[in-house]
Amino acid sequence: MRTFLTLMQREWLQHRFGWSLLTLVPLGLALLVLSFGQIQVDSDAAIERVGHAFPAIVTAVAMMATTGLTFIIVAATSLILISGLARRDHQDRSVEFWLSLPTGHSSSLAAPLVTHLLVAPAAALFIGLAGGWLFSLVVVTRLAGLPAWLALPWGDIVIAVTAMLARVLVGLPLAVLWAAPLVLAQVLANAYFKRWGLPVLLLLLAAAGLLVDRWLGLGSLSQLIGDVLRNAAQALVTSGNYSMEPRSAEGVFQGLRQIPGWALADLAGAVRALASPLFAGCLATAAAMFALLVDWRRRGAGAAG
Amino acid sequence: MSAATSTPSGTDHLVVADHLSVHYGSKRAVDDVSFVIPKGRVVGLLGHNGAGKTTLMKAMVGLTPAKLGAGSDAGQLRVLGLHPQQQRVQMLQGACYIPDVAILPRWARVEDLITLMSGLHPHFSANRARSLLKRTSVGLRDKVKTLSKGMVVQAHLALIAAIDARLMILDEPTLGLDVISRKAFYEMLIDEWCDGERSVLISTHQVEEIESLLSDVLMLNEGKLVLSISLEDMDRRFVALSHDAEVAERMSAAHPLLRYRSGPGPGGQRGGSTAVFDGLPPADVLALGQRVRPSLVDLFVALTRKPELDRQHF
Repeated sequence: MRTFLTLMQREWLQHRFGWSLLTLVPLGLALLVLSFGQIQVDSDAAIERVGHAFPAIVTAVAMMATTGLTFIIVAATSLILISGLARRDHQDRSVEFWLSLPTGHSSSLAAPLVTHLLVAPAAALFIGLAGGWLFSLVVVTRLAGLPAWLALPWGDIVIAVTAMLARVLVGLPLAVLWAAPLVLAQVLANAYFKRWGLPVLLLLLAAAGLLVDRWLGLGSLSQLIGDVLRNAAQALVTSGNYSMEPRSAEGVFQGLRQIPGWALADLAGAVRALASPLFAGCLATAAAMFALLVDWRRRGAGAAG
Repeated sequence: MSAATSTPSGTDHLVVADHLSVHYGSKRAVDDVSFVIPKGRVVGLLGHNGAGKTTLMKAMVGLTPAKLGAGSDAGQLRVLGLHPQQQRVQMLQGACYIPDVAILPRWARVEDLITLMSGLHPHFSANRARSLLKRTSVGLRDKVKTLSKGMVVQAHLALIAAIDARLMILDEPTLGLDVISRKAFYEMLIDEWCDGERSVLISTHQVEEIESLLSDVLMLNEGKLVLSISLEDMDRRFVALSHDAEVAERMSAAHPLLRYRSGPGPGGQRGGSTAVFDGLPPADVLALGQRVRPSLVDLFVALTRKPELDRQHF
């Protein structure tokens, strides 16, 4: 366990600057703009309609938008970084240094996957949330004054935010498991074919598509991949079953209070989706690809460059 | 040190290689090599460029798959009693390795590497590493990418020497180091790291520099092990005769392994040479010259030089 945690620490030491830049700089810039720029709300009618719930809406939007954007930025970066996982230490020729240490091939590959696909996006959620909270303070204070921000229904907000956060945090590993075959296919292709990894993978997928579609009659491969990606997205959060009706202040507060129940139901749906042959296939494919990656590293391909 | 086939692989042997070959495609980089390394030895691995030194070392630390003989020639490779590839993690807890290029990760600070190695190697001492680094010009806060090649080597050597291992495998460890740093490293290695139980395998082209440190030598030539011997046995087995120019033809007729010009002969005449023999030459030949200690470089040249080159020189 200590080895695994140290391998995860390596990711932090290697990428801390980039991660800090990606998360804190946009948040800092946005905070500066919101603090000193002009904030204008076009629809006075809408503000009148929701009345004293307007600060709550601003807070909810700020938190959700900031958290979502930070998460997307970090997750996208992680996917790019992880695609070159197998060969990254060849670039500075440090691969033999790492291979000369008593760490297993499985943990050496699994630790960065866990860090980039789970820990970094999860940390981004918390950073985004903190940023959103600061944004709400600035925006609400500038539009309605600090007392309005202090008077927000913080109990309901904290419960709603915690529920949403828990929903996404639990959904994140499920989404990663759904998407694992595609992610690992890219890692594996780059391991074997270096910079030609993506073109080769696309060619292989096209060939496999032909095989599946025309000869085996199993349906469309692109549809299959689409299903996998949709399930991965829905494991994180499903947008279709929830709607807040901000037609009145009471509607807004009621909507906030409904979030925990909705998050739980949404998570139950994501868990139910796991009981499918498609998910079993994803797990089996991901396991096979991980085994191939371990074998590639074990056979010394990592050192041969 | 002796051939593994003639020496039982007891617990004192940190490395046992028996009928070991390594192939890169159809090329045999290491060809049916057998040797053992007992504990408490400092072994030099010598060979020309491309002789198979790096490949052999990589096979010993599990970075390259070894091919072992089959059937009656069935062989084995055991490092610390373990299979280097199948039991790599366990084996690397007792053995440390420096590859032939300075390869520390460029993004890391030196103190990051100490932190990481503390977590990744159960026998790594962070205090020992810091103490060794204080003897160098490398700072703990320095980033590897800002260090010169020599400083990277110094940092790497300090990190590796801070591992409480039983076997150290060093592939050209001082490449890029100035002479003072090389001397300091070898002094530290012999005076502080080696304790009579640990063994070191060093590959280098700076043969003269390490000859006095070695207890044994392995010589590779085109993948084949041409010599595996302790330095005491080497002195007993090989005979070098310094002789004057006028007896050169008679000396050549005795088929020495090597003859080379070596300044004034025993008679003080110019154009003197030295002839190196495997075993004691006949008494009449022995009487033609003065016996001197054969150097490792002479033997290396004698045993690994290609015949066509010999013909050009004689």
